[in-house]
Amino acid sequence: MDTKHIRNFCIIAHIDHGKSTLADRMLEVTGAVDKRDMRAQLLDSMDLERERGITIKASAVTIWHKKDGVRYELNLIDTPGHVDFNYEVQKALQACEGALLLVDASQGVEAQTVANAYLAVEADLTVLPVLNKLDLPHARPEVVQEEIENSIGIDAADAARVSAKSGLGVNELLDRIVDRIPAPKGEPDAPLRCLIFDAVYNEYRGIIVYLRVVDGTIKERDLIHMLGTDTVYEAIEIGRFTPTMKRAGELGPGEVGYFISNIKKLGDVRIGDTMTRHKGPKVAMLPGYRPPMHMVYADFFPTNTGDFESLREALETLSLSDSSFSFEAVTSEALGFGFRCGFLGLLHMEIVQERLEREHDIDMIQTAPTVTYKIVLKDGSEVEIHSPGQLPSPDKYEQILEPSARVTVMTPAEYIGNVMTIANDHRGTYVRQDHLSPTRVQLVYDIPLAELIYDFFDKLKSSTRGYGTLNYEISGYAESELVKLRILVNGKEVDALTSIVHKDQAEKRGRSAIKKMRKEIARHQFEIALQAAIGARIIARETISALRKDVTAKCYGGDITRKRKLLEKQKEGKRRMRQIGNVDIPQKAFLAVLGGDEEEG
Amino acid sequence: MPRAPEAPPPTLPRGRAPAGTPLYVHLPFCAAKCHYCDFFSVAAEGHDRRPTVAALLAEAERWAPREPRTVFFGGGTPSLLESAELRALFDGLERVTGFRGAACEVTVECNPESLDEAKAATLLELGATRLSIGFQALDDAALKLFGRVHDAAQAFEAYRAARRAGAREINIDLIYAWPGQDLAAWRADLDRVLDLGPDHISAYNLTFEEDTAFRRWLEDGALSKPDEELELAFFEATRSRLAERGYGAYEVSNFALSGLHARHNVNYWQNGPYLGLGPSAVSKIGTARGGNVKSVGDYVRRIREQGDARVWEEAPDALARLRETWWLGLRLAEGLSAAEARARAGFDLPEDPLQPIAERLADDGLLERRGVRFALSPRGLPLADWVARKFLEG
Repeated sequence: MDTKHIRNFCIIAHIDHGKSTLADRMLEVTGAVDKRDMRAQLLDSMDLERERGITIKASAVTIWHKKDGVRYELNLIDTPGHVDFNYEVQKALQACEGALLLVDASQGVEAQTVANAYLAVEADLTVLPVLNKLDLPHARPEVVQEEIENSIGIDAADAARVSAKSGLGVNELLDRIVDRIPAPKGEPDAPLRCLIFDAVYNEYRGIIVYLRVVDGTIKERDLIHMLGTDTVYEAIEIGRFTPTMKRAGELGPGEVGYFISNIKKLGDVRIGDTMTRHKGPKVAMLPGYRPPMHMVYADFFPTNTGDFESLREALETLSLSDSSFSFEAVTSEALGFGFRCGFLGLLHMEIVQERLEREHDIDMIQTAPTVTYKIVLKDGSEVEIHSPGQLPSPDKYEQILEPSARVTVMTPAEYIGNVMTIANDHRGTYVRQDHLSPTRVQLVYDIPLAELIYDFFDKLKSSTRGYGTLNYEISGYAESELVKLRILVNGKEVDALTSIVHKDQAEKRGRSAIKKMRKEIARHQFEIALQAAIGARIIARETISALRKDVTAKCYGGDITRKRKLLEKQKEGKRRMRQIGNVDIPQKAFLAVLGGDEEEG
Repeated sequence: MPRAPEAPPPTLPRGRAPAGTPLYVHLPFCAAKCHYCDFFSVAAEGHDRRPTVAALLAEAERWAPREPRTVFFGGGTPSLLESAELRALFDGLERVTGFRGAACEVTVECNPESLDEAKAATLLELGATRLSIGFQALDDAALKLFGRVHDAAQAFEAYRAARRAGAREINIDLIYAWPGQDLAAWRADLDRVLDLGPDHISAYNLTFEEDTAFRRWLEDGALSKPDEELELAFFEATRSRLAERGYGAYEVSNFALSGLHARHNVNYWQNGPYLGLGPSAVSKIGTARGGNVKSVGDYVRRIREQGDARVWEEAPDALARLRETWWLGLRLAEGLSAAEARARAGFDLPEDPLQPIAERLADDGLLERRGVRFALSPRGLPLADWVARKFLEG
């Protein structure tokens, strides 16, 4: 295929703004998928993605569109929409020449969309604004155009107007993609260079590599050298996603597809790597991806101590399709052997944890997430810690630095006061405020990352009735007066429950943590004492009284199934639990050191 | 956890239950619905009971065992039926099963408002060997709160009438730890009941079951539960008072003079088979269970049209059966051994995953070892459900 008949593009959109629906409609109008085979949101292949209505992994599909009698190959590379997945977004963007900026004309521009649009502009992509949901009676395209111009700074005057739901304007949009997005520039005769922008593991076929050919042509039977990992594999199968995998035999410059070589060694494929021909001319690696930044760390421990090796295998398998988290073995006095994992953000952490449980059927206990602190020791040297337990005693260090985030919140103007209040409660420093339109405002604050993790997201959602959206980027490290908050269960310190908090918040958060734990830990046949301590000083205590009576009075023939269901319901949620001493501590109690649903006061 | 590789026998056998299988007959009619009760029942008023009795007999012909070891007429309020209706039902069942000569125990549940000497005499003549009378409380205000339609005096009179009619085995049902109940008053009430000399006493801690008025009132805050310590005091006072008077606690809430326990109910706790007739009645035959529809009209129609009113069935796997056998069996004072549990559950895999749980609970002092058997210890008894969950989780 001549590169001038190829267009590679992605869609940037906020959750629920209709990205998957638009992709589905494109597949339908170009005949890539039969209407009767249409399953809602074809591109979100993971159950988790469909349930959460978000895209976690980049994926790709090739569609054929005819314009003026010419057949064009359009490669749509799906991108994740959440702030945690900036790394994935960047990989996908690098494989494209253009991006559709899809905005719900009834909702307006959201914070994460702006952040991703900036990334696209930085990556030199042609950005086409598209207004969706024009069929809704409360669509207000003119206002939203103004918002796009004010927030992103691109001309939105002739933004495409579509209804992904009804199909209105979709054909015209495909024409516009052909007209406005540049064709890829690759040289057919240059030495082969392909970009690995994603990979998934398939039990039968090994690793399926998602690639974009930059220069040259990749053919089956070619021996392929992956430069970063310095490994060589034969191209057993080369094909396109249509959206099902369809063998093509070869892919030329600018094309997007897959590469299969029955690769079983997980470490051999690295997303962002460059593929070239083995023993061919030397080529330069494609411009580097920024390595993923782990902003949040949490420890995972198997619920059954015997599952440690299964957890390791599961993490290894998962790390293949999600190269952006890290893990290393750790030992906790309370929880035994486990792994400290680094994530891009909170949502990323939740997703990894859920995928481990669903796809690998592993029950785990997860500790509360924490950020990376920098500790300046007495001798002037600096160490990084990824776990509160690693914080040395105060006589050993000079100062603690914590990461700070520049936080952008977009909200309807009526909630400005609420957002300012919660920003202040989370040690925020006001930076500025911009009006995007008469009804929407952008607020910028500097807030310690640890505070974002504590419960800023939840509080933002609840104080703006769900309308506030947020994006953040790490702006640096700053000194802070932090102390170690320890939790004791029946007099015994539980290292997995230790947290680092600001000295002014320590007492309040300590009290709140053990109050929440008291609610989460079921009564036992003995009394349980919960204590929060700073240094040697106990700052709060709660008691869980002993269980004295727990017996169903009546239980007869027909009743048995009902009583059994009742008993089983009571044991629900007990699966994710670990015994410390002789106290069963459920997963939720390990997260008690985070904020969230505590009662006020 | 290893799962038993079993061929699926997911349904109850189609046809009459094996001879000897215990028989339960559900009569869903009550004078009024009690506010704590979650058994299936309907108001008797305005209901033509004849189609139900006819359907019960038709159902019996198709499913009931010959010569059941025990028979239990429950409800609802079986004693609410007129003598003629009772006669048609009992005589019909006799023709189908021959229970009169075969069963060693035939219990009929009675409520004071519908049990006089003539009714008791009819029941005994028709084959009942044991009457169970719902006293529930001796405090008229409490009876009103419960939604009962009799007072305490009527309950005593019903008991005496049953004795006059010649009833040899009588059970009295009682409920304690209701909102506002005084512990000393309860002890005095128990004494008054004991002075009657019943053969068997069922004394239940009040429970707030789902879909009952009591549960709703509890949730609305109109009623409040006694605190746990007080409930425990009631539980223990009941056991010690009854023990002093010679009533052994053979089950968590059931007490009997020596040898006079309810055989029909003991079979439930031993996870034995039974065949249930009537709306909402449950059957367990072999390893499968099933239950009838909870509607009188639907029940009658289904029996008429298909001869079958079952609306659910289940066939728990071997491990699930073993779990169930343990927690049910531990409700009995006699307890059970691991080998008995496996035999009752039909569990024949080489490794018993639950025996270690019993051992651990015994080490923790919640179970007692009696030779090879395990039974709840005095400390474990009020925590029976906690113990049960250990068998469900392990």
